[in-house]
Amino acid sequence: MRAMIVKEFRELRRDRRTVAMLVALPLLMLVIFGYAANFTVDELKVAVVGDQAEQAEQQITEQIPADAPATLDLVDVDPDATAADARDQLQDDHVDLAILTGEATETDDGRPTVLIDGSNLFAAQSASVLVAQLGDRVDSEILYNPDLETSWVMVPAIIGLILTFIGTIITSIGLVREREAGTLEQLAVMPLSPTSVVLGKITPYFLLACFDMVLVTLLGVWLFGVPFNGSVLLFAVGAAIFLFAVLGIGVLISTVSQTTGQAVQVALMTMLPQILLSGMIFPLDAMAAGVRWIGYVLPLTWFVELSQGVMLRGAGWDSLWLPVAILAVMATVVFGVAVLRLRRDIAPAKAAR
Amino acid sequence: MTTLVAADGVTKQFGAFTAVTDVSLSVAPGEIVGLLGSNGAGKTTLLRMLLGLEAATSGHVEVFGEAPADSDRHALGYVPQGLGLSQALSVRQNVEFVTATFSARSVPDLPPALAAVADEPVGRIGLGRQRQLAFHCALLHSPRLLVLDEPTSGVDPLARARLWDTIHAQADAGTGVLVTTHYMQEAEQCDRLVIMSRGRAVARGTVEDITASTRTAVVHAEDWAAAFAALDDAGLPVVLTGRTSRAAGTEPDVVRRVLEEAAVPAEVTEQPATLEETMVLIEQEARAGGHR
Repeated sequence: MRAMIVKEFRELRRDRRTVAMLVALPLLMLVIFGYAANFTVDELKVAVVGDQAEQAEQQITEQIPADAPATLDLVDVDPDATAADARDQLQDDHVDLAILTGEATETDDGRPTVLIDGSNLFAAQSASVLVAQLGDRVDSEILYNPDLETSWVMVPAIIGLILTFIGTIITSIGLVREREAGTLEQLAVMPLSPTSVVLGKITPYFLLACFDMVLVTLLGVWLFGVPFNGSVLLFAVGAAIFLFAVLGIGVLISTVSQTTGQAVQVALMTMLPQILLSGMIFPLDAMAAGVRWIGYVLPLTWFVELSQGVMLRGAGWDSLWLPVAILAVMATVVFGVAVLRLRRDIAPAKAAR
Repeated sequence: MTTLVAADGVTKQFGAFTAVTDVSLSVAPGEIVGLLGSNGAGKTTLLRMLLGLEAATSGHVEVFGEAPADSDRHALGYVPQGLGLSQALSVRQNVEFVTATFSARSVPDLPPALAAVADEPVGRIGLGRQRQLAFHCALLHSPRLLVLDEPTSGVDPLARARLWDTIHAQADAGTGVLVTTHYMQEAEQCDRLVIMSRGRAVARGTVEDITASTRTAVVHAEDWAAAFAALDDAGLPVVLTGRTSRAAGTEPDVVRRVLEEAAVPAEVTEQPATLEETMVLIEQEARAGGHR
């Protein structure tokens, strides 16, 4: 048995990737995810509208108890704005809650109305606790997810996760298998341009992922009653761009892996942070600033923003152009680099001059 | 005569390791050129450079008269060592893919042995048939240049003979063939050979050219075992074929002296060396040169 243990250690020493996974990854994961793992949103962005907005602002500042579950960040106090403006702000995800005062209120007795964005689950929960503490002094309404159903928030995010899974893991395995079998080399001496190899290789995965996307979206809506309030076109365009980004990651992984095992290892390493740091489980607003930026460089983060925006809040192009644009940039960069790297493997080598 | 593929003083380095050093080689239409050498001699790396899969560190490679380019590939047939077939697809599906990729029109029928397993996944058919399929795929677009990397390793003698019939038929039809091998019988089927050792081309020409300068001392003795033992003990490069001992590259007088000292009566004659014997000597010389 001793010989076996020694042999295993010797083999491990040669397999740098596994050693890195065993040693560096746990440390990295603990630090990053430790700081990310926080469900409590302790600062809520608020808009106050209506002709009594300024008085309300003063009252809020004075009346919110020091031990309240969350502090309020009054991002917008506008006496001239209407209830519709406030709803727009919520739909655009600029604020977590909006307070309608004076003529803007939706109550008959003149009490302020508090509108809460239910699509930000944890922010909405904090806001609900806060509103409950105010008792009858205000009337409140939770928009987009009135019962604060977790599944409503999770399903749009899970669609992204499934697409990431297919795009990254399945694509990288498909391409690496080609390399392992030596067929990539065979393709390289056939009259196929590198671009047609890449596109020919990923188109089936792209179509399958599209099919899966439609399937899980329909199932999500049907099984969990998740609403689909927004534009199907916007969702489809965003999802297609997102797919290009994750397929690009898959291709990129295949170019740095020699075996299927390695590809799966690397793909899982890219999946885990996307699951934990994309805002899908832990709200981005609750993360320590040091790790939040990691979330912002992950494509899933922006897809979650897009899918929740379209499905729950019914948000349109004007409020979701940013995630779409960022996804487009990511897709171009990742896919471009991936194709260039793959091209290097299969294009005729340029002779040294 | 035009040259299909030509390497001129090609060198390939991987970091500090030089896989191929200053090798030149050319293949003309209708010619079978064998690239011979032991494992690690640099044959595959040289092929990869000729195919444009690897850039030469220095030197010049030309395919159909110009630097390797996408446009060559319509006229190139390649059977890699790993065969490059999609294992999960059936024989027929593999052929369909290659046919479509090359936009090949008059595609030859599957040979009977393959037609019998046309719908079987390639991974489930025997290695001999897989090789036959790889050949079929490499030939179905009538390439001008056929590049074969160890085409018959792991194939039984009958199938090997059949594959060589195919190679000869191609060459007769004007296709240039470049084939790597470490089987001597295969090397003898080539019109010309380039022998590689440790990344260098150490000999070239026909089998006769290469073996001409090497002679072998042949020993016939009543007590053949004693004769062999005596020569082996003396450190001579002796091999036993049947009951005859052969010492390639060794002067008959040297052999006679060793046998006299060992008191083994024997008749010593001289013959031209076989290709295999010449190869061993070339390898030894190259190795000695490398250490020097």
